Amino acid sequence: MRTSLPTKIALWALAVVVSAWLVFPSIIVIPLSFTDKASLVFPPSGWSPRWYERFFSNPAWTMALGNSLLIGLLVAVLATILGTLAAFSLRALRNRSLANALKLGLLAPMIMPGIIIAIGLYALFLKLGWVGTLHGFVFAHTVLALPFTVIAITVGLAGFDAQLEQAALSLGANPLSTFFWVTLPNVLPSMISGALFAFVTSFDEVLLSLFIKSPYLNTLPVLMYSSVTRNTDPTLAAAATLIMVITTVLVITGLILSGRKKHASVL
Amino acid sequence: MAKNLVKWPVLGVALAWGLTSCQASASAPEIDLGSGPAKVGTIKANSLKGVTLTLTSWGGVFQDGQVKAASDPFAAESGATMLQDGPTEYSKVKAQVEGKNVTWDIVDTDVIWASKQCGPDGLFMDLDMTIVDTSHAPANLVGKCYIPAMQYGYVVVYNTTKYPTPPTGWVDFFDTTKFPGKRAIAGFEDIAPGVFEGALLADGVSPDKLYPLDVDRAYKKINPLRSSLIYWKTGAESEQMLESGEADMALVWSGRAYAAAKNGAKIKPVWNQALIIADALGVPKNAKNPKAAFAYLNYYLGATQQAKLSELTSYSPVHDEAKPQLDAVAKQYLTTDPQIRKQMIPSNSEWWSKNYDTELVRWLDWLKG
Amino acid sequence: MSLASEGARRRTWSTVRPLLLLLPAYALLIGVFAYPVLDSMWRSVTEPTAGWGNYAWALGSSGNLAVIGRTFGNALFATMVCVVLGFPFAYLMVISAPRTRAILIAITLVPFWTSLMIRTFAWIVILQDRGIVNSLLAGIGLGPLELLRTNTGVLIGLAHVLMPFMILPLYATMNSIDLRLIMAARSLGASPFSAFWRIFVPLSVPGLAAGSLLVFIQALGFYITPALLGSPADSMLAQSIYSQVNGLLAWGRGGALGVILLTVTLVLLGAVALLIRIGHRRDVSVGIPGQ
Repeated sequence: MRTSLPTKIALWALAVVVSAWLVFPSIIVIPLSFTDKASLVFPPSGWSPRWYERFFSNPAWTMALGNSLLIGLLVAVLATILGTLAAFSLRALRNRSLANALKLGLLAPMIMPGIIIAIGLYALFLKLGWVGTLHGFVFAHTVLALPFTVIAITVGLAGFDAQLEQAALSLGANPLSTFFWVTLPNVLPSMISGALFAFVTSFDEVLLSLFIKSPYLNTLPVLMYSSVTRNTDPTLAAAATLIMVITTVLVITGLILSGRKKHASVL
Repeated sequence: MAKNLVKWPVLGVALAWGLTSCQASASAPEIDLGSGPAKVGTIKANSLKGVTLTLTSWGGVFQDGQVKAASDPFAAESGATMLQDGPTEYSKVKAQVEGKNVTWDIVDTDVIWASKQCGPDGLFMDLDMTIVDTSHAPANLVGKCYIPAMQYGYVVVYNTTKYPTPPTGWVDFFDTTKFPGKRAIAGFEDIAPGVFEGALLADGVSPDKLYPLDVDRAYKKINPLRSSLIYWKTGAESEQMLESGEADMALVWSGRAYAAAKNGAKIKPVWNQALIIADALGVPKNAKNPKAAFAYLNYYLGATQQAKLSELTSYSPVHDEAKPQLDAVAKQYLTTDPQIRKQMIPSNSEWWSKNYDTELVRWLDWLKG
Repeated sequence: MSLASEGARRRTWSTVRPLLLLLPAYALLIGVFAYPVLDSMWRSVTEPTAGWGNYAWALGSSGNLAVIGRTFGNALFATMVCVVLGFPFAYLMVISAPRTRAILIAITLVPFWTSLMIRTFAWIVILQDRGIVNSLLAGIGLGPLELLRTNTGVLIGLAHVLMPFMILPLYATMNSIDLRLIMAARSLGASPFSAFWRIFVPLSVPGLAAGSLLVFIQALGFYITPALLGSPADSMLAQSIYSQVNGLLAWGRGGALGVILLTVTLVLLGAVALLIRIGHRRDVSVGIPGQ
């Protein structure tokens, strides 16, 4: 479709503004984290790595980073296992409306406003003594991550030709080895991307964590949250940059890996 | 295979970190604090090896001061691990005590709230006087279940560049025609002496007839000010508002004004009818290691510790022989200085503790607009 | 026993076996999601005393009504900003060359994988009194504008955070529109504007509806952004819930506000689901005669 030149210019002008608006706040923390001054003035007047030194020499920050990584990994593993089982179950169910209803149930945490989950969980965790515990964090974050793994793996399964399984079975493979040698390799890319989504969901989570944190167990975003209201020194920008690097590396790794697997399965 | 190459190192690092962070929750061994009566400011060397205590306070200059003056040396001498958290949220204390899962071993609160927490229905444990020596602390500030943390003022400060003619008291704080500009006041889930007293004093109530507070009248005075008000949620945020010049006037804890001034904010305090208040330290019931927590309180009250705290924060010490070496700026904010103290007025904690709950609900409702 | 019952048992087993695989996920979901949510609903009618007192408070006090009104107003405004800026942006994505399009998509996705906390922190840096916006304004002799700790700041942050949720569904819908329809209209004598307005825009409505719904619903329940960019006097519903529960341990009142938020969310979702279904039916009924 042809668009007139003035319209095009107007559209592009707007697109440039919107693009800047979308991207700028995501990347501004990177130069800020290398500032040489103890203030968040942009652009920085000079450069220095000292806020990273500050970050890594402060046990509060490194411990929070470690906790976030650990919780994220456990959540990714748990959510992927549960999501894979659930996705296979949904595929196997003959009663489609039952399957759809059950799937909707699994996706419910996605549409529930976070604050409502948070206050409910806080009450429950207080009762169970799970506030500030590792398993408390892992369970809470897994609930939020589960819809992502379910969706990713369901989509992956939908693109997988079930006749391949039947072919394997009819050629004499037993169900277990059919699963491991035929089904799993084909679903693996979507499991990986589900796991990455789960990790990132947990790694970014603030609201639930604000309720269930304790001095013994704090996550990186929560520490950032409480620091923001206290003192906005550039250590925060360093922390933000680190989070960004970790997520970006993971997302790109995931994309590359799942891309490679996809090609392999075509071959 | 490539996946494993990425995953395992990350997992290893995370696990290592996770394990170090789990050490904190290990249960504490039986402790021996030595024999004889408690002596303020002392702790038996290495008596708290393996114990972890968390001090929860109000962040910023005050908490940094507490950590440097008390927590760090206490950790060094006793062998305990000192963690910190904050800001203090009274609901969290309640939730932890009732849930029997106390992670805040020592909590800094205002004296009004602390005084409600003694006894069977309260949230603080009675002090163990064999461990805590309060003989050098101001007697009127020591409770059955708490010690004073410091004494301070709730004071209006103003930006000296914005107002060449300085405001002189509450009347000016409420006068937006003569003194236009943003006023910062506290706005979070707590209520304390401050803006209500100020409103009544500005409205012509004499200081000796202030209590019981006519809160309706106070709100009537505050309402027109609403469009000029901004709110700080933590003490550190109030420091920031003063330093950035965002607030032209602010009702703040005196130490926060000191910190801002020390960082170069162009501000001055108005001591005329500023309010005298104090903070308390207490140990929540069901705390995992009350003996160690009380040992910390005893250490905290020491003369050296108090002098250092005062030097770092400008807050007045709660040890009668503490001799802080204050810098020029801190001297301007030391509320126990007779020249300053004589201009200030006491707040009535009895009235506040009786009306705290109802007034808090009303205040939060007002805040929503 | 007979073969028939053996077959029946096998059939039951084939229904039950997949359900067993669902068990772990549902155990977690019921224990750590459904139960706590229902429990806080239950508390809203039982704590501190049984009855509707918490709802009378939630809908009766002027403060709460102001918060609810502000929450709706902000969500609506953020949605409108996203529509006004997102629609042309998505349109440009559709009409541009593949490589440009890929870049524009990437730009839309950047905020998605930058953590919410980072972006909110960045907005604080940008909006503060001596922040970037105000230094720019000062450079051209304007300002300073009050942005941080105001409702304006909250709106800027909300619209930014939610923008991708508008652009992506819009793009997906627009991309599936057959642009030849517009050329056909043009060749039949329609002006470019009316061809765009009367053919392209109506066809992009499903994406617009989906995007608006996603943005609006998320804006209603937002906590982090308003809490950090706004002032306590500009609080939204989620902040009120937070303050009731985390600040006052008033589980009943917090629960009542939560139920109100949830009800609105579900009603909206239901309404849009219904609209989409009606829309589908109409498409089908319109489509058949043409085939």
